[in-house]
Amino acid sequence: MTIKVSRRVFSAGILATGVVGTSRGSFAQGTPKRGGTLVATWGGGEPQACYVPAGGGSSPTFSSSKLFERLARRKMDGAFEGVLAESWKPSADFKTYTVKIRKGVKFHDGKDMTVDDVVYSVSEIWKKYAVASALTDFAGIDSPDADTVVFKYSNPTPEFFFASTLCSPVAYILPKHIYAGSDPVTNPANNAPIATGPWKFKEWVRGSHFEYVKNENYWKKDEPYLDRLIIRYVRDPAGRAAAMEAGDIHIGVFNPVAPPDIKRLTGTGKFVATPKGYEEAVWSTTLECNMRNPVFAKREVRQAMFHAVNREFIAKTVYYGYARPGTSPIYSPNKEFFTADTFKTGFDPKKAAALLDAAGFPKKADGKRFTLNLLSAGWFQENGKVGAYVKQALEDVGVGINLTVPDRPSSIKRIYTDYDFDLAISNQANPSEPVPSTTQYFTTDGILKGVPFRNASGYSNPDVDKLVASIKVETDPAKRKALVFEFQKIITQEAPLLPLVELESITLASTKVQNHSNDPNFLAASWGDLWLAS
Amino acid sequence: MAGELASPTPALRGSARRTAALRLLRRRLIQAVPLMLGVVIINFCLIQMAPGSFLELMTAENQVSDPATVALLRKTYGLDDPVWMQLLKYIWALLHFDFGFSYRQNMPVIQAIWIHLPATILLMVSSIALAISIGVAAGVVASMKVRTFWDSLVSIAAMFFYAAPSFWLGIMMIVLFSVKLGWLPVGGMMKIGGNGGVLDILHHLILPTLALGLFYAAIYTRVMRSSMLEVAQLDFVRTARAKGLSRNKVTIHHVLRNALLPVVTILGVQMGTVLAGSVVIESVFSWPGVGSLLFDSVSSRNYPVVLGIMVLGSLVVIAANIAVDLIYMWLDPRIEIR
Repeated sequence: MTIKVSRRVFSAGILATGVVGTSRGSFAQGTPKRGGTLVATWGGGEPQACYVPAGGGSSPTFSSSKLFERLARRKMDGAFEGVLAESWKPSADFKTYTVKIRKGVKFHDGKDMTVDDVVYSVSEIWKKYAVASALTDFAGIDSPDADTVVFKYSNPTPEFFFASTLCSPVAYILPKHIYAGSDPVTNPANNAPIATGPWKFKEWVRGSHFEYVKNENYWKKDEPYLDRLIIRYVRDPAGRAAAMEAGDIHIGVFNPVAPPDIKRLTGTGKFVATPKGYEEAVWSTTLECNMRNPVFAKREVRQAMFHAVNREFIAKTVYYGYARPGTSPIYSPNKEFFTADTFKTGFDPKKAAALLDAAGFPKKADGKRFTLNLLSAGWFQENGKVGAYVKQALEDVGVGINLTVPDRPSSIKRIYTDYDFDLAISNQANPSEPVPSTTQYFTTDGILKGVPFRNASGYSNPDVDKLVASIKVETDPAKRKALVFEFQKIITQEAPLLPLVELESITLASTKVQNHSNDPNFLAASWGDLWLAS
Repeated sequence: MAGELASPTPALRGSARRTAALRLLRRRLIQAVPLMLGVVIINFCLIQMAPGSFLELMTAENQVSDPATVALLRKTYGLDDPVWMQLLKYIWALLHFDFGFSYRQNMPVIQAIWIHLPATILLMVSSIALAISIGVAAGVVASMKVRTFWDSLVSIAAMFFYAAPSFWLGIMMIVLFSVKLGWLPVGGMMKIGGNGGVLDILHHLILPTLALGLFYAAIYTRVMRSSMLEVAQLDFVRTARAKGLSRNKVTIHHVLRNALLPVVTILGVQMGTVLAGSVVIESVFSWPGVGSLLFDSVSSRNYPVVLGIMVLGSLVVIAANIAVDLIYMWLDPRIEIR
């Protein structure tokens, strides 16, 4: 998953305790009221295009997901639900999936959505751009009749994996009549999309906002409840807080304001803050060891890096309590695959020192064992603070650290193209399905020079590769779960890259806004069911 | 590029003044050519030296891993040429008013800038107008009431607005006028969904103009006060007074006009800094101008747009300084600018 968010305030992932306490268990009250305009914002900047076929980061996902729709979605209770698909069913060998397509769905220009649009989207957009890394075993798609498409795979494909692919944030169904024969990346429709969702594109005032209006022909007859949806971009977090306080913006997703403002605004009783709605996009701050440095050849040295760092301290101090120590490459909100039964690399500086001594790196006369270059990716402000702490913590056990905090383009180049780091502090956002979004950080085929958010550590272990290959094709849910547990045990012990902390993202909304935060990836939800109370 | 002043010469009159002005304009335009060339070369080299490239960011955002695709993109954007060749091609394109293509906006650079330019010009013009109006008026008042309560008040206010960071001032004004009092909008250029009428835009323009303009008003106030006091001591002012002219007439017709010269000088020099200041103010007020575009473009290494804005910015500064030279001649006909 691409990371492209200005989190100057990320700190909001983050605020001290007490804020979540102001959130409510449910954000839906009474009968939906129709009409009105909802103004929304988010904790990042304006997108490069309204829709980017390859995803392009959270900003275009936020703007496009209100217009385009996927075949399926995941609900808060973890169940999958059809959106443009009515149902799907695997074959006995799990090598094909038959998907029934919803009837009566029209694009915003009045044309019917057909299986041709689905076939085009999957073969030309998903496979080539949007979810290419999840479709490595994809062998084609057919449309045997007007309501059915058949996905074909070269290997058995687990149901959870398949359904997760259908739910992928940018696995949209595009209008073939608009995109066929063009370069999807530069198609002008990317900036004025024609889609099937509850909202129709009206205008994009660059530097200011998107304006969407109600799709009167939406296939869900009751939705959308609102007449108009505005996505407004305010670069400065303090400006967002002021706009929300003045009533100009109703809802901000993904850490829209600074932590003190969350506390202040919720204290007025006019706003609620909640960490709900991010269960399928859990963020973490990670520490990554570059295996190309011979120092890291012994796994005890890698383990020592993590034993030296107090993750609880980072969670409480840098993230104001809006984070929790990370223990596994699969994050704790993942109900399907997380296990706490892993190798422990908790805070223990004495153990770190002992491991380094045993690995053949005793302290020298100057008190240092060796010196490393620590790169803290500057796309989030907090990474620099984490870097400053990690530097101190590692120096306490005799590891000299040269810390740099380059900006986003420089960080991407140094970590993922030049491999110019010994230790890197970076970030990930992973959904529940671990293949490939999580596993690609550890498998040999994830080592792709110049491709960000893959295996930059250079860690290569045939056992892990084999294990991940098994996870990918295991169709028995219980067996698959056991394999993922084993994966976590190996990776936590090998420690090429581990999360320091798992982050909590925050949505801040006016108490007037109803039905928000009701999707495990709320930022990427359609928002057709939101409404405004009087 | 404010001109070198020759020793005062007898005032030029009528057609002689026009001829001198045209000669000056021609000379400045010729001088602008190597200057612009220098600006383009230096900016191009600075951008080349910055780590990370727009291609890397683009492939990162689009998860492009295929080496053939990356090579094709490098060729498409001319990045497989040596740097000197890229520079020559860029200069050649500029000569044909082609500022390049912005992959990020998926449109020509000039179009991307053009979309944002009116907002920035509006903000700059209104801020400068505010700064000059307040600065000149306050400077005149302070100089006429020197060492009185009014002089002290003006000095303290000028010091405050000079010292206060623009972004802080902007946020404080939002809190007071938008959040607490509800008089003015928090940000944006017009009401969303509104018709963008003149009054609506003016309503949205007030706070950004104040936040950007008051800093420069403070500078002009201090300069104007000093200049007024200095000119007031000169012989021709004493002569005017001796002729029995009223104090106001002497101040406005004799002192003020001559005291304006330093303010005009600063105005020309500061056109570039006003443009730079608008980057911050546009961020605070979500003003959809070139400053916001520049900020995004630097963050995304969108070099064609960054270069385009720098070239256009340099043109604005050069044009402003030529205008300043001409205003000099108008304000003081004795001045001949070399």
